[in-house]
Amino acid sequence: MTKTFGQFLKVCATSALLASTLFTGAAKAETNLTLVAYPVLFQENYTKAVIEPFLKANPDIKITYFAQPTAAQMLGTLRAQKAAPQADVVIMDLSVSKAGSDEGLFVTLDEASVPNMKDLAPGARVPGLAGAGVTFDNLVLMYNTELVKEAPTSWMALADPAFKGKEAIPAMPDIIGLGLTVVLDRAMGGTDYLNNVDKGIEALMKIAPNVQTWDPKPEVYVPVVNGQAALGVGWNARTQLNNKLSNGRIKAVLPKEGSLFQANAISLVAGSKSQEAAKKFINYALSAEAQARFTEAMFYAPTNTKAKALISEEAIQRTALANMDRMQPMDWVALAPKRDAINEMWRRKVIPLSR
Amino acid sequence: MTAIAPTLEAAPARRVKIPLAVILLIPITLINLIGFVAPVINLLSFSFREVQATGAMTGGSSIASWVAIVTDPFYIELLVNSILTSLLIVVLTLVCSFPIALLLHRTTGFARTVLLFVVITPLLTSAVVRTYGWIALLLDGGVINSLLSLAGLPTLKLIFNSTGVVIGLTEILMPYMILSLLAGFRRLDPRVEEAALTLGANPFQTFWRIIVPLTLPGVALGSLLCFVLAVSSFITPKLLGGGRVFLLATEIYDQAMVTLNWPLASTLAIMILIVFGGALFLYLRALRAIA
Repeated sequence: MTKTFGQFLKVCATSALLASTLFTGAAKAETNLTLVAYPVLFQENYTKAVIEPFLKANPDIKITYFAQPTAAQMLGTLRAQKAAPQADVVIMDLSVSKAGSDEGLFVTLDEASVPNMKDLAPGARVPGLAGAGVTFDNLVLMYNTELVKEAPTSWMALADPAFKGKEAIPAMPDIIGLGLTVVLDRAMGGTDYLNNVDKGIEALMKIAPNVQTWDPKPEVYVPVVNGQAALGVGWNARTQLNNKLSNGRIKAVLPKEGSLFQANAISLVAGSKSQEAAKKFINYALSAEAQARFTEAMFYAPTNTKAKALISEEAIQRTALANMDRMQPMDWVALAPKRDAINEMWRRKVIPLSR
Repeated sequence: MTAIAPTLEAAPARRVKIPLAVILLIPITLINLIGFVAPVINLLSFSFREVQATGAMTGGSSIASWVAIVTDPFYIELLVNSILTSLLIVVLTLVCSFPIALLLHRTTGFARTVLLFVVITPLLTSAVVRTYGWIALLLDGGVINSLLSLAGLPTLKLIFNSTGVVIGLTEILMPYMILSLLAGFRRLDPRVEEAALTLGANPFQTFWRIIVPLTLPGVALGSLLCFVLAVSSFITPKLLGGGRVFLLATEIYDQAMVTLNWPLASTLAIMILIVFGGALFLYLRALRAIA
């Protein structure tokens, strides 16, 4: 008898607790945001550096992080859900984001609704782009510190016969290949990459015989870290992160001839049911404070021009911020129509030289 | 009461009219319509969409993708290269698998179980894992080249080219070939071979004139299966090709996932379907010729 009474009490207590939780939940009227962005390291660092502080300041908003490995997959998801979008905010490669903007998948943001956009660098505000650049990254020459004792200083170290069969370069259509073509074109004296990259292709033809793989898997950093390759070409943030994780087995060089930026854009999905909360989050993601914290965590350069003052000297040295004089302008969107022709030159002239 | 009676009588009459076979075919027909026919129609419609340089599809239609694959020599080379590479892989797979299948066919009891297990085990491991295994073996500093240099022989370029792709895919497709051959070996009666030997045929003649003709249906089936799998495989060529081997399947991946040209990717996917149709046609012709 006492046992049954005890059970009765327990049920009462549980119901009361449940009711109170339901009530407080209703009173707060929580908004749920779904953020689509890159997985694993990006997710881990972005959650710690940007999402968690935002949630602390906005307890009425919840964020679900939906990770997808490539911008193309994100675009595929957005296209498939166009009639009933499940995502609110997307962080993806800027060129792909431009394609999404052209298809009307995103809401055009402005300084009135996202005030921090006024502090962004020009490269983060591309005409026709619905969202805004949220991270900058730059092309680097990377090397395995056990196989290469003296740090290379020039892109043309890639043509040094000493490294024959020891290089990993992601070929076109990967944008690392496209970016490298432009960087080399300028290094060799080319002046108008939008119309002619012949000098870049000539330089690649000198490099080609050294290349071990044009399609490094799972990504270019792995063969350089484990010594399968001595030199490689990749993005700065990933190289810096791999440098930390591998105790310095891989290092990035920003060669004397210069390099170029590539951006990820943050966008608001058209048809999102939580537009106000989404704009609030985007504004926070573009703030100097959030950008500085993400640079400290993952070494992407900030797009907010006021962020640099908040970043430690050590982190600045690991980004292009330390060598802004070497960074050259690059219009990926304007170059897009030439991409197929450049890809054709890679296939006909460059890759055959490495067989 | 009168209202129920006619329906009770009519029911068995109707059941007789629809053959059981048709009813049993309904589920698979539905699955095929949803899982195969609808996506193919969708692919076909994508192949006629217009695409901007950025990858945006803004709603227009265009035959640019079809014009590109018919006129651009790169895509013609791609098609020829894919078919030739796959044929080479099929021949190598057949040559490597035939003796194993014949041995399996002739083994009985526990030994057969063990051998069959050894043949099937690779299928339980993902092709990605097995391909990474090949990378470790074939690299410049890998097992094979280390042994070669130990023996004082020059090392070979075995990976990040078409050699690597052919080696990897041949091994990966061997279990399919062996199982298909085994299925086709049922007609191979040992008494027929014995009869040939008694009548004075030497082992080579027995093989060429008795064993080969009797096993041709299995050979045709295994070749069709391996050809289709070779043309459509993309993970192994991606990992072992080093960006030097251009095949239809890897190009579809690049167009869809990197260049964002979905219409061109769809057009190439339809091309693969056409190639498969051709292979199936040849298979059926071959079967008729064998029978």
